[in-house]
Amino acid sequence: MLVWLLRAAAADGLVNEEVKRTVDLSTHLAKISAEILLANQGGSPVQSFTLALEPELGPHLAYVGASVKGEEEEDESLELKETAVHGRSGTFFQVQLPSALAAGGKLRVKVETVLTHVLRPFPSHITQAERQLVVFQGNHYLYSPYPTRSQSTRVRLASKTVESYTKLGNPSKNDEVIEYGPFKDVAPFSQDTMKIHYENNAPFLTISSITRTIEVSHWGNIAVEETIDLRHTGAYLKGPFSRYDYQRQSDSGISSVKSFKTILPASAQDVYYRDEIGNISTSHLQVLEDSVEVEVRPRFPLFGGWKTHYIIGYNLPSYEYLYTLGDQYALKMRLIDHVYDDQVIDHMTVKVILPEGARNVHLDTPYVIDRSPDQLHYTYLDTFGRPVLVATKNNLVEQHIQDMVVHYTFNKILMLQEPLLVVGAFYILFFTVIIYVRLDFSITKDPAAEVRMKVASITEQVLTLVNKRLGLYRQMDEVVNRYKQSRDTGALNSGRKTLEAEHRTLTNDIAALQARLKAEGSDLAEKVGEIQKLDGQVKELVNQSCQESERLVAGKVKKETYITSEKTLAGKRQELISRIDSLLDAL
Amino acid sequence: MAEQHTASDCKQRASQGAGGSVSGNGRPNTAAGCGGGGGGLSGGLTQPAGWQSLLSFTILFLAWLAGFSSRLFAVIRFESIIHEFDPWFNYRSTHHLSTNGFYEFLNWFDERAWYPLGRIVGGTVYPGLMVTAGLIHYLLNLLNVTVHIRDVCVFLAPIFSGLTAISTFLLTRELWNQGAGLLAACFIAIVPGYISRSVAGSFDNEGIAIFALQFTYYLWVKSVKTGSVFWTIGCCLSYFYMVSAWGGYVFIINLIPLHVFVLLLMQRYSRRLYIAYSTFYIVGLVLSMQIPFVGFQPIRTSEHMAAAGVFALLQAYAFLQYLKDRLTKQEFQTLFFLGVSLAAGVVFLTVIYLTYTGETAATMATQHHSLAQHMPSLYFSPLPLINPIKPVILNLDTERLFDPVLSAFAVYFAGVMVRLMLTLTPVVCMLSAIAFSSVFEHYLGDDMKRENPPAEDSSDEDDKRNSGNLYDKAGKVRKHVSEQDRPEEGLGPNIKSIVTMLMLMLLMMFAVHCTWVTSNAYSSPSVVLASYNHDGSRNILDDFREAYYWLRQNTDEHARVMSWWDYGYQIAGMANRTTLVDNNTWNNSHIALVGKAMSSNESAAYEIMKSLDVDYVLIIFGGVIGYSGDDINKFLWMVRIAEGEHPKDIRESDYFTPQGEFRVDKAGSPTLLNCLMYKMSYYRFGEMQLDFRTPPGFDRTRNAEIGNKDIRLKHLEEAFTSEHWLVRIYRVKKQENRQALDHKLRNVAAKQKYTSKKVCISCLIIVVIFKYRFFFFFSIGYQMFMQ
Repeated sequence: MLVWLLRAAAADGLVNEEVKRTVDLSTHLAKISAEILLANQGGSPVQSFTLALEPELGPHLAYVGASVKGEEEEDESLELKETAVHGRSGTFFQVQLPSALAAGGKLRVKVETVLTHVLRPFPSHITQAERQLVVFQGNHYLYSPYPTRSQSTRVRLASKTVESYTKLGNPSKNDEVIEYGPFKDVAPFSQDTMKIHYENNAPFLTISSITRTIEVSHWGNIAVEETIDLRHTGAYLKGPFSRYDYQRQSDSGISSVKSFKTILPASAQDVYYRDEIGNISTSHLQVLEDSVEVEVRPRFPLFGGWKTHYIIGYNLPSYEYLYTLGDQYALKMRLIDHVYDDQVIDHMTVKVILPEGARNVHLDTPYVIDRSPDQLHYTYLDTFGRPVLVATKNNLVEQHIQDMVVHYTFNKILMLQEPLLVVGAFYILFFTVIIYVRLDFSITKDPAAEVRMKVASITEQVLTLVNKRLGLYRQMDEVVNRYKQSRDTGALNSGRKTLEAEHRTLTNDIAALQARLKAEGSDLAEKVGEIQKLDGQVKELVNQSCQESERLVAGKVKKETYITSEKTLAGKRQELISRIDSLLDAL
Repeated sequence: MAEQHTASDCKQRASQGAGGSVSGNGRPNTAAGCGGGGGGLSGGLTQPAGWQSLLSFTILFLAWLAGFSSRLFAVIRFESIIHEFDPWFNYRSTHHLSTNGFYEFLNWFDERAWYPLGRIVGGTVYPGLMVTAGLIHYLLNLLNVTVHIRDVCVFLAPIFSGLTAISTFLLTRELWNQGAGLLAACFIAIVPGYISRSVAGSFDNEGIAIFALQFTYYLWVKSVKTGSVFWTIGCCLSYFYMVSAWGGYVFIINLIPLHVFVLLLMQRYSRRLYIAYSTFYIVGLVLSMQIPFVGFQPIRTSEHMAAAGVFALLQAYAFLQYLKDRLTKQEFQTLFFLGVSLAAGVVFLTVIYLTYTGETAATMATQHHSLAQHMPSLYFSPLPLINPIKPVILNLDTERLFDPVLSAFAVYFAGVMVRLMLTLTPVVCMLSAIAFSSVFEHYLGDDMKRENPPAEDSSDEDDKRNSGNLYDKAGKVRKHVSEQDRPEEGLGPNIKSIVTMLMLMLLMMFAVHCTWVTSNAYSSPSVVLASYNHDGSRNILDDFREAYYWLRQNTDEHARVMSWWDYGYQIAGMANRTTLVDNNTWNNSHIALVGKAMSSNESAAYEIMKSLDVDYVLIIFGGVIGYSGDDINKFLWMVRIAEGEHPKDIRESDYFTPQGEFRVDKAGSPTLLNCLMYKMSYYRFGEMQLDFRTPPGFDRTRNAEIGNKDIRLKHLEEAFTSEHWLVRIYRVKKQENRQALDHKLRNVAAKQKYTSKKVCISCLIIVVIFKYRFFFFFSIGYQMFMQ
């Protein structure tokens, strides 16, 4: 059986000449990197080779990448494709080599894998004062379909304190590093459990779900909002949480998480950090040269098993991320962004909200991601909705912070739609108000009110006319005065004539209005008649004073008599005018 | 020259004559008021009136804006957040309404409150506030304006303050004139008495109820003036809105009958009054009964009897009036009328007396004991400025009865309970606006070239009907040629300008004062506290939300949290957990039970908590930062309420020292030092040294070193304490699993088959002793102690 297998593997003729593995367990992730010297011992050139992962670790795999270690110290990343190997369990990837590996040739390949949730807290419940211990279970050997000539494994831990570790091949332990090997001539697919139980107080934070919403506006803004569910996945806190100990003793709750740093793009503005009940006031923001750093401090420290939920959002100027050529647009942004160092995201949803009217949407992602059906999003001044791209992916780590590109076409005329909508709405509003004010919408006619209004308008006219007429008398007074000084009879006569003429027209007008008042059946007509009558008397008095002054000028009366008669006349006139006034008031 | 002299003489006399004729009519000031600006909005055709309406529109808009923005201090300083306690409940139910729809809200049984009883929310709230906010949210979302319901709730009260300003304007214009109306609108927009209940974030019934109140008054005055059923129905709808919004609707349903009653007493009965009141009473009654919470109260309770009495009286009066027209026995009629009205009056007054001295005030006042909600000193702050002017106004006012009735009533109410100062505020605003407006009319009259219209005697029935037209008429600019440049009577320009300046300064100071009070006294959310360092930088103490959010995230969804009732609404709103008692305070015995648990010793409290299925206990402790509104300071209330229901177990006197003091230090009473509340507040506090000048365990709120520093909890454990120790949450330990003993025994017996029975029994005894070692030690210790 083994021989057959060996033959099957050796069909490629590939051999792992030398393997240097590094297992980094200093955080809550297991980062396993291996430098493999591949040798083609077969007879034909090889285009690709196969990477394998133990069946136990397969579900925990978040990221795997391979690169060629070039001569010029330049790494060239290789393309990976998931594949299956007949008769073997585990996860397999076919790695395409940049150029065929000739028979007898050698190539140095670097393989990097990141595994999440492989460090199991043990004990699973600890008190506040205790330190967190975790167990890692892995493989001493490189799990590979090819035979390995020589390999060594170096394990980096989070602390010196190690409870136990498997002692295959008598490993050496030096502070935080355990060195295994070298192991010679290991068969393909060989497994031997490596178990390390050690202290790890690194923040065991896991983002159980994140929803990243990117809203693109063609008015120059891209709004990003991340809704995050965060959980401490280390050992559960057992028993009480004492604030006193936490405040006074530095090693109390050492595995708990007080705060962490989120790095936002350098152009991020208007950053907000909140949850369902408002701002989280414990955060700090620092604007650096090449980034904006938010010190995210949850409302309460996160102990094992505790969780929190928050929203962080910011605005970006669109010119940095949105590229355009005519009607063609391309949005190039990070699919997922940094939340904290060594982040683990169990479940991610990305939503890209494009402007209303975007068509021919096409999404380019750096890695495979599940697209959900597109949605529509309605917000300010939308009529037919904005297209929303929805994509999900599970189990992501820092290595997944890569750019995606969204291509779409957008007719620039549509930019005018929203301003026009506002203009139109205001136009309709004002138009309605104008219509409402100008037209009569009462369902019943009120004849009495109409008559009242008519009468009111007529009386107003009467008032102005009467006032004007009274004004005429004053003008006449002036004329008379001037005449008394200049003794110009001509001026007096012409003044008198104009008075007569204007007075007549005014009186006629008033009479006409009076007739109309009468026609409306208003009793005000009588009052107007009375005014007319009084006015006649006033007119007479004016004429009299005019004659008196003529006589004075002609020397027919003495000055004293003139003054007394003038006085009586004026007195009478005043009396009449005041009576007219009171009548006017009564109108 | 002589002639000229005579001419000017004439003018002078004429003007005097005109003046005389006006004063002969007896009501110069009112008339001047009408002339002042009555034309305004109604006569929009002529040019000056058009300007006037534009001006008043602008002023109203600015008043709205000023009112809105002066309520935003809290939002700008802190954030858009719901304040205090009751608003959290309102917010929570609005949230429920907006997510589940109106009918779900009406039928909402809230199982998260008053555990294990629950609360029928739909039938125990005034839904007007929630429906208003929900409706606005719904409409905005219909228009794709994606506003969060929280922001609608936060900004509802400031927006409604603008509507209040407009309805106050309408009411004052109806009662006095446009100028006074505009002043009143400006006053109400910024007056602190009203701002106190309507800052942004204070999402409470009063915020919209004052608008409804003012608008109902306006429509009532309008309907009495016109006697039209249209306006009365409008008034009823507005009243319905008021009923749905606030329990203070009782204020209206007593005030309007009172107005009618006073009108009747003053022989001002008219057909219009009859139509207005009969329609109002019947339609308003039916509408008010549609609110589930009000139900049949309007025909059952004594608060509403005054309205019914006046309704009956009015019918009787109208009937007598009818008879009077038909019959001739005048003297008999008058006698009869006098008798009836006297009897009715006596009945009415007794009802009022009983209502307000006996029941309402007392019940309302007792509810709000331990909450510092009254703030009387600040409530009164707008008053000193306005009060001196009021008597002047009341003297001037002889005809518009509504105003004095309203003010008297409001003053009475405010005197009964300081919280009802709120209803007095609009009245004071209106009165002072009228005062200022008439003062300005006197002293700012330089360019007032228009003369008074002939003032009609409005007590006359016919003229009153035409009063609408009277206002219209005044808008006409009527210049009397003969008096174009008549000199002012008696007042020199200096006095005028001094008075005007003084008035303007008063107004300015008022505005500054209002802003100051608003900013300093009413703009703290009280959910978030802020402290200032020596250099002026600000620290935010966010402990409440820290703890509530911890509860929300890290406890079981159905966990039951026991706390004093003050925090019930906040726990439900922010932590979304089940509470035992909350600010609704409808079940006193339940509150007393919680109070008893807090004031008993730990094991007695454990029994109560077990019977109530309590998972967590939340308390507020201010000893670390010196926060005075904490539970120890409220503790005596818990004791008193518990004593009220359980006088055998809890006695208030036990919690005092023999000298009658309430102390937390060593001299304090042992009952206090060992009760649950004390233990929970000071658990591990004895170890804490806050600064070097004070001993460990020094309570900053009460300035005392605590008396019991060695606190051990048996049935509780600390689950969470916020950063500044303001909120402490304890977990109630579950009872120990008794099955383990049996199980273990059986194993032992099975394994050790070969051992003798003796060994077996001794094993059993050892295990039993081990299990009950505490009890054994205790009993041994007890016996030794007794010897």
